[in-house]
Amino acid sequence: MLRSDQILATVEMIQKENLDVRTVTMGINLLDCRSDDVETTCYNIERKIQSLAENFVPTCDRIGRKLGIPVVNKRISVTPIALVGAGYNRAQFVRLARCLEKSADIAGVDILGGFSAQVEKGLSESDREYILAIPEALAVTNKVCASINIASSQKGINMDALAMVGQTVKDLAENTRDSGGFGAAKFVAFCNQPGDNPFMAGAIHGTGEADAVLNVGVSGPGVIARSLERLIATNGAANLLIDDIAEEIKQTTFRVTRCGELVGRQVSRELGIEFGVVDLSLAPTPTVGDSVGEILHIVGVDAIGAPGSTAIVAMLNDAVKKGGIFASKAVGGLSGAFIPVMEDAVLAEAVGRGELCLEKLEAMTCVCSVGLDMIAIPGSVDAATISAIIADEMAIGMVNNKTTAARIIPVPGKEAGDHVSFGGLFGASPIMPVRNVGKSSRFVAWGGRIPAPVHSFKN
Amino acid sequence: MQRQMIISVMAKDRPGIIAAVTGAIFELNGDLADLNQSILRGYLTMILIASFDAEVSVDEVFANISAADSNNEFDIIVKPMQSTLETGAVTLPAKTYIVTAQGVNRSGLVYGISSFCYQRNINILDLSTTLTDGRYTMILQIDLSHVESIKDLRDDLDRYAQEAQMHVMMQHYEIFRVTNEVTMK
Repeated sequence: MLRSDQILATVEMIQKENLDVRTVTMGINLLDCRSDDVETTCYNIERKIQSLAENFVPTCDRIGRKLGIPVVNKRISVTPIALVGAGYNRAQFVRLARCLEKSADIAGVDILGGFSAQVEKGLSESDREYILAIPEALAVTNKVCASINIASSQKGINMDALAMVGQTVKDLAENTRDSGGFGAAKFVAFCNQPGDNPFMAGAIHGTGEADAVLNVGVSGPGVIARSLERLIATNGAANLLIDDIAEEIKQTTFRVTRCGELVGRQVSRELGIEFGVVDLSLAPTPTVGDSVGEILHIVGVDAIGAPGSTAIVAMLNDAVKKGGIFASKAVGGLSGAFIPVMEDAVLAEAVGRGELCLEKLEAMTCVCSVGLDMIAIPGSVDAATISAIIADEMAIGMVNNKTTAARIIPVPGKEAGDHVSFGGLFGASPIMPVRNVGKSSRFVAWGGRIPAPVHSFKN
Repeated sequence: MQRQMIISVMAKDRPGIIAAVTGAIFELNGDLADLNQSILRGYLTMILIASFDAEVSVDEVFANISAADSNNEFDIIVKPMQSTLETGAVTLPAKTYIVTAQGVNRSGLVYGISSFCYQRNINILDLSTTLTDGRYTMILQIDLSHVESIKDLRDDLDRYAQEAQMHVMMQHYEIFRVTNEVTMK
């Protein structure tokens, strides 16, 4: 029997801090579904997803009930669709998106990711067709998410793709104008995109993966925030050092990760599908009390974006990794703290108060995953400026050998200070002002490639 | 032929109790198997299993332990064991859950929750309770092998918690194990 204090500490974590498993994502390889005509390919895809994911959602729910830890999201990621659809044209890629939507519906999952391409060094003709298909593909589907890897530390930044991506974001927002440009919230550009990330919109089933795997995303920042509050209330802030804060985050993450690992292994055993990784990312939700911003408040900045914010995020990110890596057999995906503005109520409020600006967010992304995420900007910002914002974020990932991403939503018809809401997990936020709009088009127009950085002489 | 006995000793705690009891058993050539002891607010209780040669009687064992009790303060029970000793690792049933119940102290709380379990054919595998500052905390390790629906039980438990004005949580044992132990099987 475990000691009473150990049991009570765990009970506290579960009941007061709403411990859950954020997502179990089933990665499915679709390369063997390819046929010479698109209809047969679609038929094969639907059949394969259905056969693997048939019992996925009920199994996650059953194990969640048994263990008393709910699995909030059940998702599917697939092989980047540009590979599956190599040689197809724009209309055919849209057809594939519809087929993925249908498969997601049949499986009963929340979201399906992998309408994706990896073009960090060059674009094929069908990659271009794929990119051109994105605005329509995401507008005619609800559950399908797209991501595109346009940069890597090994290959540099593909500026041709970058220019197309800025325009794609604009078109996506415009195509989903009625819902505030929601389409752009389902599309993300990456540098160093991992192939085993369970979180959306950037989940893909990478080419180096097994035929099917399960990846788990653990519970969110609310658990960490509550444990820090308890630590401070018990000991008094005056009796604690910041290392005590880091240690508490580390130990809490260990416990949280263990729960994710337990759920993942049991789902994997029941379904007979290989267990991939636990992704340690602290992913906030718009729910009050489940915010990374709140942790920053607790650790000592009264405004998110105030000096010190970057240092706190760095410490948080590192402590989460230290606790989680030991707790799990295999850690992967993004594994860091997310700062998605719209999905984090405290960050969104900070934008509304003018405390948090794009440049400070960019600085914070240097020390955490995953990048400029879920940022609503004025609809009037031009495509080249969006491309340039993305380029800066890609450069951070490229030089620092880390994953960075950009998910920016130019909300049609809205300006800085207006408000947009997507509801549910996608959240709401004031529109963030963008400075120096329209001043980067000569840079974006170059095309070609920013060469990969040197990998020695790191200073 | 060996005979196994189950021996229980309760006494006010002081150094030397375990040495006295095990010494008395050793004198009779007894071989200890499992032993468990616990101290509760200054009182020690121990329960152990030992095997003796066939000619050693229950009374002899009792007498020898009593003789070792210089202060005449042991409460001793010695019984022959009915079944042979099971050996090997003791594994918990697959449906082992932990229930924690906390509330303002009053009489009948343990009786209440244990009756709740008994009425539903739930075996309590382990139980510990503590009283701190007027609040009573009970931690029960229970076996739900004979419970059909965990969900129904949770609903019942919620109702019970409301009636008893207790804060009750039920979680699978595995959750506690993986969050507190370094190894994860």
